[in-house]
Amino acid sequence: MTNPKTKKELNKEFKDIKYILTSSMRTKLLLAIYDVPMNLDELRGVLKKPSATILHGLKELEAINLVRKSQKYYELTSNGYLLTTNMIKLIDNWYSLSKSEIFWNNHDLSDIPEEIIRDIYLLKDAEYISSTTSDLSIAFNKYIKLISKAKELTILLPIYSENHFKHMIVFLNEGKLEKLDLIVSEEIYNSIQRNELFKRDLLENEKVNTIVTSKRFKIFLTYSERFMSLTLFFKDGHYDDSHILIAKDDDARKWALSLINSFQG
Amino acid sequence: MKMYVNNGINDEIRFLAQSEIRLKILSELNKRPDNVRGLVKETKITYSSVSSNVSKLEENNYIRKFNGKYYIDPMARIYFKTLMDFKKSIEIIKDFHSFWYKHNLGQMSINSMRNINDLKNSKLIETTPLDIYKTHTTIKNQLFNSKDVKAIFPYLHPEYPKLLERILKNGGSIELILPREITSAIMRPIDETLKKNSIKKGKLKIRTVKEDLNLYLTICDKSMSLGLFKTDGSFDQNRILVSKDEKSCQWAEELFEYVKDKVI
Repeated sequence: MTNPKTKKELNKEFKDIKYILTSSMRTKLLLAIYDVPMNLDELRGVLKKPSATILHGLKELEAINLVRKSQKYYELTSNGYLLTTNMIKLIDNWYSLSKSEIFWNNHDLSDIPEEIIRDIYLLKDAEYISSTTSDLSIAFNKYIKLISKAKELTILLPIYSENHFKHMIVFLNEGKLEKLDLIVSEEIYNSIQRNELFKRDLLENEKVNTIVTSKRFKIFLTYSERFMSLTLFFKDGHYDDSHILIAKDDDARKWALSLINSFQG
Repeated sequence: MKMYVNNGINDEIRFLAQSEIRLKILSELNKRPDNVRGLVKETKITYSSVSSNVSKLEENNYIRKFNGKYYIDPMARIYFKTLMDFKKSIEIIKDFHSFWYKHNLGQMSINSMRNINDLKNSKLIETTPLDIYKTHTTIKNQLFNSKDVKAIFPYLHPEYPKLLERILKNGGSIELILPREITSAIMRPIDETLKKNSIKKGKLKIRTVKEDLNLYLTICDKSMSLGLFKTDGSFDQNRILVSKDEKSCQWAEELFEYVKDKVI
């Protein structure tokens, strides 16, 4: 037997998280009344459980000040709202990670700051798209299609890819793309500069603003007013052009922006 | 809402949260790889408990054995950290219970609530019967020693005009969000020429709002303080959260910008 003192300390350390997360009735109740207070009838309808079970759960939550009853309606207290907001963040984090687990697990994440990885819940509506053996360029074509519609782009660019540059130049010349911020390492910058065409049409283009970082990085991230996209490197160091994560919602774009800022800051 | 009900706490979260021993083992392996004997020594949990839970964690792919030591799986590490982040949020809610409980959070952004862990180095300042002006004195000291100030003042304190005037005189900059009713009361006592010049130089920005302001916030150089209204509608003068660390100040900065966007 583990000695009582150790047991007590362990218990104390994890008591709250255990209490909240291990009862599916308590967590479901908190989530059910997150947006709008409900009375017992409504809760029975949503949770499909007998009144006694629901009332028991509500009593427990009232006892720890997370829920209160007002008239016949149960609502979250301010503490309950804060806690549930953070519980949803936890759920969304796990959901975002597991939804694209192959994508995250197969790639080198070492250049994404830990704090930003922990905010992966912001990517819960992101979809990842893979090329197939019958069409190796699905991911690339999807990417080109996305940037073809953008007015302004910020790109963390870790690779020298003529194919990418050529498309960017076309969009700049056509006039649709009005502003392009390129963040590249010194190494990539020098490579671009050695090519006369890219030097003239990209680096010296007045619509293009180049930021050079001293360190190399392994994240290909694109941010625009309409979308964000992310491609990464395999753990063996090779760039993976066949898997791309794409999202168009504000949360995901916010995530991308904070990642970009972490490189500029 | 329905989405969350169906898509709630999954079995994996529950598998970890159910056992303090598993959580403890993961938090040890998160620090460094170790073998069962080492884990027993670190955690003071019995050998048999550690060993059986290590097996369960290994079966569920949270940890892997390599050269005699257990390593936390890279993905499991991320999952685990998000779980510990939630644990931290609960602690912050509990530690500052009297600050949040029965207070109006209506003007806080959803992001500021999701990021309350950024406030972990904050301190709760409460008035006491022996020092009923403790919160006000704290705010006053912050303002007194600052060069640059951003603030949301939902109420008027008679000492504020002098404090603000002093900052302007010293060449500092001020950005205020104020309800219409108190704007003139705060601004009138400040020297007219000083005010005009400061506004011209962009050193004094006043944003007057028609809506009610439901929180108090000050960001001074490298410190911040936050106060809330009670759910009965009155400002809680008896407690504020203050902090000098960067995280809290960034948190406050984001909240300030959010309120500014929303009310103006």
